[in-house]
Amino acid sequence: MSVTSAAGTFEGVVWALNEAPAFAPGEAVRILTRTPIGHYRVPTYLRGKSGTVESVIEPAGLDNEQEGFGRNAGSKRHYYRIAIPLTEIWPDYVGSPRDGLRIEVFETWLERI
Amino acid sequence: MSAHEHEHEHDHPHAEITAEPAGYYEIMETAVRELLAEKGLIGPAEIRRQIEVLDSRTPALGAKVVARAWVDSGFRARLLADGRAGCEELGISFYDDTQLIVLENTQEVHNLIVCTLCSCYPRPVLGLPPDWYKEKPYRARAVIEPRAVLAEFGTTIPDDVEIRVSDSTAMVRYLVLPRRPDGTEGWSEEALAALVTRDAMIGVVPATLPETVQ
Amino acid sequence: MTDSAHLIAKLPNDIGGAEAGPIVMAEHTLLPWEKRCHALADVLDFKKIINTEEKRRGVEALGATVIGNLSYYERWIVAFGNILFQKGIITPEELARKMDEVEARHARAGGA
Repeated sequence: MSVTSAAGTFEGVVWALNEAPAFAPGEAVRILTRTPIGHYRVPTYLRGKSGTVESVIEPAGLDNEQEGFGRNAGSKRHYYRIAIPLTEIWPDYVGSPRDGLRIEVFETWLERI
Repeated sequence: MSAHEHEHEHDHPHAEITAEPAGYYEIMETAVRELLAEKGLIGPAEIRRQIEVLDSRTPALGAKVVARAWVDSGFRARLLADGRAGCEELGISFYDDTQLIVLENTQEVHNLIVCTLCSCYPRPVLGLPPDWYKEKPYRARAVIEPRAVLAEFGTTIPDDVEIRVSDSTAMVRYLVLPRRPDGTEGWSEEALAALVTRDAMIGVVPATLPETVQ
Repeated sequence: MTDSAHLIAKLPNDIGGAEAGPIVMAEHTLLPWEKRCHALADVLDFKKIINTEEKRRGVEALGATVIGNLSYYERWIVAFGNILFQKGIITPEELARKMDEVEARHARAGGA
């Protein structure tokens, strides 16, 4: 196994758990349906909706659910641009079936399908 | 007459002391700011400096970015790969520590930007957002009926063109790269920039030629 | 979901897809205090005294009625006050006294 970074590829270096993004572009994912208290930036209209990973946003970002409570050195999370058809979000969607939504979601809110 | 006296002769929208009595929230703003300054946490010069930064950011910056992308394919490719780096190449700094994704409109795709949760907006490159962008109707409806929303701006997108709505959530901001209007071959970058409006870079209207030219 | 859960499960500003009327295209130039409030927000974020995400959380914490009735920057300044109290940076008494002082200063300036 090897790790690729801006500095190059190093044989024998292994990524730790959560160090590498869990999802890759093209993978099918679902946004979780949880309804927590506190602070979140995943709109409820997207809970439980399925989409495709369009890209991984680099670098990983500060988890805004921690940042919202002043933890300026909180956990870093992988962050993804997700593509979701509008017909998946709104069953009665009026418009072209190709119309879609794009949104960035932290890894903590995604599951593989 | 001194410049100072002249300043108070006309209705000056930026004067701190106005005829209107200061409201409750305005008083609160002054009080919070002064308390933080008394405690040494912020300096009055820092607030003035940031007001200057805000005033220096207008849609003209975004228009310059778009026009450059229209005439320089190498720049366009770099801008689409990394929006922030592309803007920085033109001297536009990202004071709010956000990333920028530039979304290119094509014959097949029309992009529209919204922030359903608050008012995320590419402030470093467009300045502050219009009121309608921050208010409920646009935020609530852009993600459920984008074609009806576009129609309210007088924009009709053919059904065979895909509408792509980007909902900003926190760290990433968006800028729409509108399609270059037909009939502008050979135009200068400056003349092209004049065609690019704020609303075209939000994606609610296309960039168009002025009616006198059409 | 219980009858009261919806009050908590959806934050007041989480309005994507909600029922809403036509877009009102009116725009206004920021009032001087609104622009100062925006600059204050930026400076507080730069210094991580109140980061932008805390500000958003502070606005949500005002609740739907307040959010629906206060203007954009009115919500911000009230949120800042609350967060600064929570962090022990200022006290409610200090703010109350300072507001009295600012109001008196404005009254003198207006009467001069």
